Amino acid sequence: MSEMKKREETKEVAASNIALIKGREQKERRRTLIALSFIAPNFIGFAVFTLIPVIFAFVLAFTKWDGSNPIQFAGIANFTKLFSDQFFLAALKNTIIYCIGTVPLTLIASLALAILLNQQIRGRGIFRTIAFFPYVASLVAVTAVWKMLFSQSGPVNAILYYIFHVENKDLPQWFVGNLVMVSYILFSVWKFMGYYMVIYLAGLQGISKELYEAASLDGANTWQKFASITWPQLKPTTFFVSVMLTINCFKVFDVATLLAGGDNNTLTVSSTVLVHYIYQKGFIEWDLGYASAVAMVLFLLVLAVTLIQFRGEKNYANS
Amino acid sequence: MKKRKLISAVMACSMVLALAGCGGNGSTPTTQTTTTAETTQTETTTPATTEGQTTTQAEASGDTITLKWAIWDQDATPYWMALKDAYEAKNDNVTIELIDLGSTDYMTVLATQLSGSTSAFDVVTVKDVPGYATLVQKNTIEPLDDYISAANIDLSLYGGATDQITVDGKLYQLPFRNDFWVLFYNKDLFDKAGIDYPTNDMTFEEYDALARQVSSSDFGSSVYGAHYHTWRSAVQLFGVLDGEHSILSGTYDFFKPYYELVLNQETDNICRSFTNLKTEGLHYSAAFSGGDVAMMNMGSWFISTMIANLQSGDYDSSLCGNWAIAKYPHAEGVEAGSTLGTITGIAVTTGASDKDAAWDFVEFVSGTEGAKVMAETGNFPAIMTSEAMDIISSLEGFPQDEQSKAALEVSNLYLEVPYAENVSEINSILDSYHSSIMSGEMTIDEGIAAMNDAIGKILNP
Repeated sequence: MSEMKKREETKEVAASNIALIKGREQKERRRTLIALSFIAPNFIGFAVFTLIPVIFAFVLAFTKWDGSNPIQFAGIANFTKLFSDQFFLAALKNTIIYCIGTVPLTLIASLALAILLNQQIRGRGIFRTIAFFPYVASLVAVTAVWKMLFSQSGPVNAILYYIFHVENKDLPQWFVGNLVMVSYILFSVWKFMGYYMVIYLAGLQGISKELYEAASLDGANTWQKFASITWPQLKPTTFFVSVMLTINCFKVFDVATLLAGGDNNTLTVSSTVLVHYIYQKGFIEWDLGYASAVAMVLFLLVLAVTLIQFRGEKNYANS
Repeated sequence: MKKRKLISAVMACSMVLALAGCGGNGSTPTTQTTTTAETTQTETTTPATTEGQTTTQAEASGDTITLKWAIWDQDATPYWMALKDAYEAKNDNVTIELIDLGSTDYMTVLATQLSGSTSAFDVVTVKDVPGYATLVQKNTIEPLDDYISAANIDLSLYGGATDQITVDGKLYQLPFRNDFWVLFYNKDLFDKAGIDYPTNDMTFEEYDALARQVSSSDFGSSVYGAHYHTWRSAVQLFGVLDGEHSILSGTYDFFKPYYELVLNQETDNICRSFTNLKTEGLHYSAAFSGGDVAMMNMGSWFISTMIANLQSGDYDSSLCGNWAIAKYPHAEGVEAGSTLGTITGIAVTTGASDKDAAWDFVEFVSGTEGAKVMAETGNFPAIMTSEAMDIISSLEGFPQDEQSKAALEVSNLYLEVPYAENVSEINSILDSYHSSIMSGEMTIDEGIAAMNDAIGKILNP
């Protein structure tokens, strides 16, 4: 009798255990569903407006398509054409020069600003606002001002003429030839350093004061403190800033169009950049296949640079 | 538990809403139809919604037809409304709905919208020939030949312009506006210098000499003898006036004398520097109305701008009120009155809901009745009848001297850009190297060699 009872009891226990497990599974499933429902709105938007177009662009790079007629497979023809296209080669060269110039300069300028404005100085808030202001100001408005400042008879050339006695015929044309890139770079550094300064400021505030106190006790001077505490502690911030800057620099379009495009948005071989060329090929000449091929080159370029930076970051973390 | 259920319900709702938002174009027409059916000007209506609008409207009222017409700058351009009103007055059952796409990137926006759906519009205005080439190649506009022969339209009225936009024997648009380039000049500046005005028959040498004569670099009263806007047409295309060369030639050495002419003038301060114009963004109208430019080559559209702005007082009449026009200068041995033309065309889309009705409107706008409306608003119609000429030259504010009236007579008209399959690409390349040459980035020879090379690759791959 007692045997039977015992058996039944164990059965009951087992049944309740199963029910419990089932309940837990259900709960788990519901949780997953809830989690998915949270991700879904964002992901659907991302898929429709980013992921699918990106994959489509990959496919398009191997085709000839004008957006209306049937898509024709073109093999690697678009890519072979790239290397004999003087505008593409010029755009590639200019974009790389722009990145090489802008990234380190912006990094240095924003870090210097951040360190300066992290000190206990009078009117720190005002100075920070002033430094951040170019970033907030409308790009169209500030490019118009820059064009005035750097125009042939503008204030910058006037200073060169009156104060530095540069001959009239030797005055630089800031938006022509080799100087265009210098203008782009100077403008971008000025425009964007405020934003990265804020990121660096956040990084600086995160460094423990004790490290500096300890260093002071050991008799370290300002440079030593910077080299052994600030810079290493800011490595993650620098990494972030450099990745963002590089990607943004490769994407440059508006700065070039607004500074050198003129009223019919024409860039020459010395002023054109990759994204502008993609736009021109894609939406002015409606050669979407070729435009996608140029976009692929841009994508690979950004990918390569970012991978190198990630490797650098890893090495740093390991050491 | 309840809370969680509530949250997931809310999330589900928001997802549905988000999805509905994504597909908004497809689902809104039903609600839009009732509200916008009466409005005639829907600038911001998306193609999908307007699409829904016409079909339902046509179905509902049986014989009323709404034609959606793509245009630009409705407020600044009086002839859209004038053409619409004139046509509607004649055809009670048709409503023309103007859809304003803005002028800056009109052709890009139009091509993009038509790529999505060719039924976005019934009738489209075609702003330039590269844009026309794009629309034809994208199969978004109808060939009009059958309609043209059925309606017995005499294409010779268009003065040869239609030949330059024929694609494989077919014509996909009819021009309704035809601007041609003339020489605007400021009489006061010539009077002050004691020099005769430009004439209707000047060679380039005479023109250059005149520009140099009238120039003055006196401090405070400097005068530029000539002014060239930053467009390549203003310099390069002096070269196509002989009728032997064209921008589709593939070799561009014939540009050289004209680049030399203009760059030499620039060096000698006879005209403003290209680089300055480009960086400062000085508009040609501001340059001419500023009263320090003696001569400026520009399209005939500037005539109505001058008249309107002088009347409204936006331009100072003491600076530029005493203006006139002369025929374009020409090369030795070329007939006077040879000039560049820019046509604006009108076409029927392949997706038009009622193609016959759309054609009827196109026929009206591009025909003699449309020409009259255009002339009355101070614009040059593609069919230059003597009636239209008289209307324009008798407009209040049009220069009253005989020479200005005679300057409107064109002997040979060469389109700035004739049709070719790759004309968009050729156009971009010529534009870019024009900037390079004019800004001094490249010498004239380098620039022309680069043009020959890049365009040679397109024409003979």
